[in-house]
Amino acid sequence: MKTTARSRALVTCFGLAGVFTLFSFRLIQVQVAQADEFTSEAAAKHVDKQIIHARRGAIQDAHGEALAQNEPVKTVVADASLIKDRDAFAALVAGVLEVPEAVINGKLSRMTKSKVTGKLEPSRYIVLKKDVPETTATQLSLLVAQSKTQGVVSNLEAIRFEQDFIRVYPNGSLLCHVLGFTNGESMGMDGVERSMEQYLRGENGFRFIERDRIGREIVPYRGQQRDARNGCNVRLTIDMGLQNIVEQELQAVVKQYRPKSATVILMRPQTGEILAMATRPNFDLNKQSGVPEENRRNRAITDILEPGSTFKIVTTAAALSERVVRADTMIFCENGYWDWCKLKDHHPYSDLSVADVLMRSSNIGTAKLAAQLGDQRFYEYTRKFGFGERTGVALPGEVSGILHPPHLWSKISITRIPMGQEVAATPLQVVAAMAAIANGGRLLMPQIVSEIVDDDGVTVARFPAQEVRRVASQKACDAVRDALVRVVSKTGTAQLAAVPGYDIAGKTGTAQKYDEKGKVTHDKYVVSFVGYMPAHDPAFVALVILDEARAKPGENYGGLVAAPVFAKIGDRAARYLGLKPTRIELPDGKTLAVDASKLRDR
Amino acid sequence: MPVNKRRHANAVPIASFATWIVIALFTAAGGLGYVWCKNQLHTTGGRIKALEREYSDLRNKNEVARAHIAQLSSTKSLQDRFDSGFIKLVKITDDRIVNVPNKPGLDASNELRAVSNPGGRK
Repeated sequence: MKTTARSRALVTCFGLAGVFTLFSFRLIQVQVAQADEFTSEAAAKHVDKQIIHARRGAIQDAHGEALAQNEPVKTVVADASLIKDRDAFAALVAGVLEVPEAVINGKLSRMTKSKVTGKLEPSRYIVLKKDVPETTATQLSLLVAQSKTQGVVSNLEAIRFEQDFIRVYPNGSLLCHVLGFTNGESMGMDGVERSMEQYLRGENGFRFIERDRIGREIVPYRGQQRDARNGCNVRLTIDMGLQNIVEQELQAVVKQYRPKSATVILMRPQTGEILAMATRPNFDLNKQSGVPEENRRNRAITDILEPGSTFKIVTTAAALSERVVRADTMIFCENGYWDWCKLKDHHPYSDLSVADVLMRSSNIGTAKLAAQLGDQRFYEYTRKFGFGERTGVALPGEVSGILHPPHLWSKISITRIPMGQEVAATPLQVVAAMAAIANGGRLLMPQIVSEIVDDDGVTVARFPAQEVRRVASQKACDAVRDALVRVVSKTGTAQLAAVPGYDIAGKTGTAQKYDEKGKVTHDKYVVSFVGYMPAHDPAFVALVILDEARAKPGENYGGLVAAPVFAKIGDRAARYLGLKPTRIELPDGKTLAVDASKLRDR
Repeated sequence: MPVNKRRHANAVPIASFATWIVIALFTAAGGLGYVWCKNQLHTTGGRIKALEREYSDLRNKNEVARAHIAQLSSTKSLQDRFDSGFIKLVKITDDRIVNVPNKPGLDASNELRAVSNPGGRK
């Protein structure tokens, strides 16, 4: 067959057309038919969603002292595919990171299956160590830069540092139960860290980035971005000056009496602000591993105890407020033993005024006051004072205590509850009830958080004083206060609570504990003292409570164990707060009262 | 073919060439410009990245310093220093404290008034 130039040209053209047609088909197949598949494959290889970490808000005391804050740390990540000499690399980083060389080597030898090729290849994301300090990270990056010249790594991207934060608590164990703690994912697990989680937690941002063949970010190809929103700062009502005083005195009494637990709370009665709250046993917030669960509990709100005689303030205030008696009404105290309900007093009394009943802490007299009120009315008052319900403080885990309704009472319950038996309350409930007496009859919700401030310093939320209800008349509270001032006099049960120069109003409490079989023990007591100062213009209410203090037999009373702690705290707190004395001690042992109304320029 | 005709037949089309050369130059310049712009983008991107890293490092250093300051100025730390005698504070005894019952109202002259504390001179 004779071929001509024309036919050769035609064959060539057809051949080329065929080849280009095939190319076109393939192009359409890649660009259109399989576009999504290849796009996602490319994106998986090159596009990355980079997290922009938000900072968790700080917690501060009433004066702005940092109580919980963040410290930047790094997570060290290695890319084994970029490491040429694994042994040399492990030896290099092990010393700086303080991790055994074998551990590093083991991590680096991990293989992962490639998403693209399906083959096993060196892992490109190996976490070598978390929570590495900034200084160590800087040191490590310099070492890796040097090692590149020695051929240990092929690229500086062989080691990366991811930003992270750890929570630090500058005061260690101080205020540990109130502050609480976070878990490994910076989520509040207890205390204010948990209750204020919604404000403290920030919102992470993100940015879509593209990486080149060796993993470097291609900045011009940055995609969608959303900035991080940092968490708000939480300012507490706690005054660290007072907290420190409370912690020191509590530590001293715990050392002396080695109780099972002990709690002290200071509250401002006009607003319900908690000024200090300390509990033993406690723990260091910066060293939490191995801390027993028992130590983590904030017993001020989670433990319920029989309040004992401190509960008599409720009974007396109720009887006076309902006007079934007056402060000078005489009550016959059965000469120390009330037969029908088998109730005893520590000392035999015949006739006592209502004020004296409270001052001398007569069980029989108090029971008779409640009996005059009647079951239902007395129950309503105890409920009004906040017993049997949560106070609503912004701390997690608060319990409501136990106060049974009258239809569940026995015949003698009306003689037992008034003196703080058959009722269980949290220490915070007792403080809140005493604060109601101190402020003239208003039950306030205890406040632990003062305000929330955002990252720019703008106040997001405030927590002003919140009155729950009026629980007693001003007149009744004044009468109770006058009686409580006598409790802390030389003839009262709490003379050791006296603070020189100040009028103190307070009440002791000593409750016997029950054993596992429900029988009353004779060697286990809950001793307490709750009071406020100065009595006529109180700056704070304080409760000191010790569970199973190991005092000498016959000395395990609230007036002997808890009251002196109040006196020490009161003395130092008065000095710290700059309270002006309300009376002057004269050389002959007498006291001269100072007009309290003229001292309100604090 | 006559010489003059041949000369005209092989004449170089300068105008056409010039047009194409200009087009080629523009294309080349455009291409180079594009590459230069791309290069600038990448260089600037690198600088942005470096600045971001520097800013982040500085911010982290600042945060570490703040945490350190908070640690050193915390109540616990100050108390420890006080207990160890590093901060030499002496408790003021009661006889050295003057309590003024009423806040002195500042008069027009705004004078400072002296107070006496005989007990404190003992």
